[in-house]
Amino acid sequence: MNAGYGMVIDLDRCTGCGSCMIACSAENNVAPTPQATPRTGITPILVRKVSNRMEGTARREAFVPILCMHCEHDTPCVKVCPQQAVEVDKATGIVMQMPQRCLGCRYCMTACPYHARYYNWWDPVWPAGMEKSLNPGVASRMRGVVEKCNLCHARLHSAKEKAAAAGKRVIEPADYVPACVEACPTGAIRFGNLADESDPVYHESRSPGVFRFLARLGTEPKVYYKSKEAWVRELAEANSGRGAEAKHG
Amino acid sequence: MVTPVPWKLLDDVSIWSQNWSWIPQPTRGPVEVKRSSCTLCANGCGIQIKMAGGWPVGVAGVARHPISKGALCPLAYGAHQLNWHPQRLTTVRHQASTSSWAAAQAAFSKACSEGTVVILDGHAGRAASTILETFAQKCNGSYRFVPSPEERALAPYQEWSGVATNALGYDLENAQTIVSFGAPLLDGWGTPGRFTRLWAEQAAGKTEPQLRLIQIEPTLSRTAARAWQWIPIREGAESALSSGLASIFIEEGLVSAKYPLPLLTLAEAADQSGVSIESIRSLARTIVARPPVVVIARDANPEIAALNVLLGAIAAPGGIVVKSKRAKPFLPSDSVIGSARAVLIDSSVPWEFVPHTDAEVFRFAAWDGGSNRADWLLPAPGFLEELTDIPTAPTSAIETYAVAPALTQSSSDVRNAVQFLSGIDSTLPSIEKIIRTRCEDLFHQHTGSVYDTEVSPLSKFESVTKFEESLWKGAIWVGVPPDATRFRCELKEWPAPTAPPPPENWTKTWAAPVLPPLASKLYQESSLREPPAGRNS
Repeated sequence: MNAGYGMVIDLDRCTGCGSCMIACSAENNVAPTPQATPRTGITPILVRKVSNRMEGTARREAFVPILCMHCEHDTPCVKVCPQQAVEVDKATGIVMQMPQRCLGCRYCMTACPYHARYYNWWDPVWPAGMEKSLNPGVASRMRGVVEKCNLCHARLHSAKEKAAAAGKRVIEPADYVPACVEACPTGAIRFGNLADESDPVYHESRSPGVFRFLARLGTEPKVYYKSKEAWVRELAEANSGRGAEAKHG
Repeated sequence: MVTPVPWKLLDDVSIWSQNWSWIPQPTRGPVEVKRSSCTLCANGCGIQIKMAGGWPVGVAGVARHPISKGALCPLAYGAHQLNWHPQRLTTVRHQASTSSWAAAQAAFSKACSEGTVVILDGHAGRAASTILETFAQKCNGSYRFVPSPEERALAPYQEWSGVATNALGYDLENAQTIVSFGAPLLDGWGTPGRFTRLWAEQAAGKTEPQLRLIQIEPTLSRTAARAWQWIPIREGAESALSSGLASIFIEEGLVSAKYPLPLLTLAEAADQSGVSIESIRSLARTIVARPPVVVIARDANPEIAALNVLLGAIAAPGGIVVKSKRAKPFLPSDSVIGSARAVLIDSSVPWEFVPHTDAEVFRFAAWDGGSNRADWLLPAPGFLEELTDIPTAPTSAIETYAVAPALTQSSSDVRNAVQFLSGIDSTLPSIEKIIRTRCEDLFHQHTGSVYDTEVSPLSKFESVTKFEESLWKGAIWVGVPPDATRFRCELKEWPAPTAPPPPENWTKTWAAPVLPPLASKLYQESSLREPPAGRNS
């Protein structure tokens, strides 16, 4: 059975601590670039702070982790890539980015409605000796390619190897957990197989109060959000068009 | 473009450039996962470290850890890179010039023979602390402790009850209402995982939560944004608001205590805090509506601590509890530093701590944070580079004990304060020996449990050696939960007002002078946090 890995992020639980951002960068060997800015840095998962735009005691704030939504239908970045460096893995539903094929044209960055892709402006350089701390499961990417979340694909490989070593064809769900999910101290980010009815995340993605950003584009993103705060849901509806979610059930 | 050739050429160059000799390649070698405790601060969260070729390449939490429950602060996830931070201290420095360990030891020995030395420790209760204290006693010096903001917040209770600050903790798990006066409960306060997990289970996203978190703070901080109620007040007016609340508690009979009456009137409290009398009245009623209640200050503030006395939160479930009968009171450092000949500062003391003295300062640190006076700057072991034990976390309500062995080696000649002093006095005990003695003491008590891959009662262990081995491999001993130990906390008159401390969060309270390089993702490559002020990273 093909999988459809995705997430449900409970925005009411996110405290904006940023553990997911650092864990992601450490897992995926993102180099510390002292010259990087919010425009030029590489943050495959980026926690954004949003507010209800009120002042004083009426002000409310929430934190929204934004990552590649792994769009399932008419995936915009796949459609525009001239190099076939982006493809949707039909076995997992993961939108894969292959840096060896990428030529750095950045069409995909323009096409991504979520601004979840980042251009690698600099050679990956670590302070002297720090290369010893790199994760051996992930290769460092060269300058001039686009980067994004691949749901910690190296961890999926490890889980597959472990399953194969045990003579199994299917991985144990507990063996494949992306770094951001593992690092979230409040359990706000939940990960699972959206195509598997026995997976709790499958049911959570269909529970009341769950929404997707820019759902009206019809790209079927596989990252869902939930919040009991009306103003947070209205924020998403303002983005996606009222009633858009109803079409996607 | 009508031909793909240029693009193909570019593609080939890209692939070729990935193999250039200067492109860093990950370490090759056997991969294994070890368990230990984090040593970045005194809270000792459980960590599992992915090692490759003998080097740490990743850090994650230990879900079974009884206190941190698998959660870590953001810094811990990049801590394995800290040992190669550009500001890592690698050589002994004497007044900005390179020196040697022998010269530093000679200078310290000379200072010991000429006058009083003061040894400052930032993480009391360790085996290393015992050795530092032993040395201080042998040379007629003083051993002093530099407490963290969380420990300072508990200090008033020591004064009022005689129970040592490090014997006290917060019984958060049994509280139904937590009133925080600016304490960053969801932003690295205490053992980060303990409260964040509790909040996530009992409060997050609930209109009527099981645990009510009321955050009193001038700005909408990360904790305030997630709190059940945020009460904005004027900067530095926490003491005034606590006086106002105390007035209403007593005036309306919301608490059984009848005294002490605060120094400010309700009108003055409202005027100073910027919170109206009606709002203070409403807040007071809300606080007492769902007991047990505990009030937490972000730093030492006797007026805020007095609210716990009024609310009956001392020595009560869900309040301030005694976790240990063994702890010794810590002594303030300021009173002795002024007259000292030399001051030795352990690497566990926060970099921001500057002793006000003309004495010769010997400062141990793994990283140089800059702009901090020290006559001798002595390179100390970094993350996972030294053996230490982890005593109970400052805010914990139960006793714990763990061991964090050295999992990696430094590439330069670094020494900790114990090794330095052992070079001067060879009769000092070793850290291993003290850990062994402590394990024996715990083993012979036969109480508590050991959290390893499974939870086992300590009484199930066959020998102290087996118990000690499990601790060295990452297990943690947990004492029995707090009983109903009563202690008297006398407060005859309302405490005098104190100056408010500066705002705190993890970027300011972490002991080391630098942050992991990847922390720039939070304050430089996103708009999530303000850059850490005054830090030279």
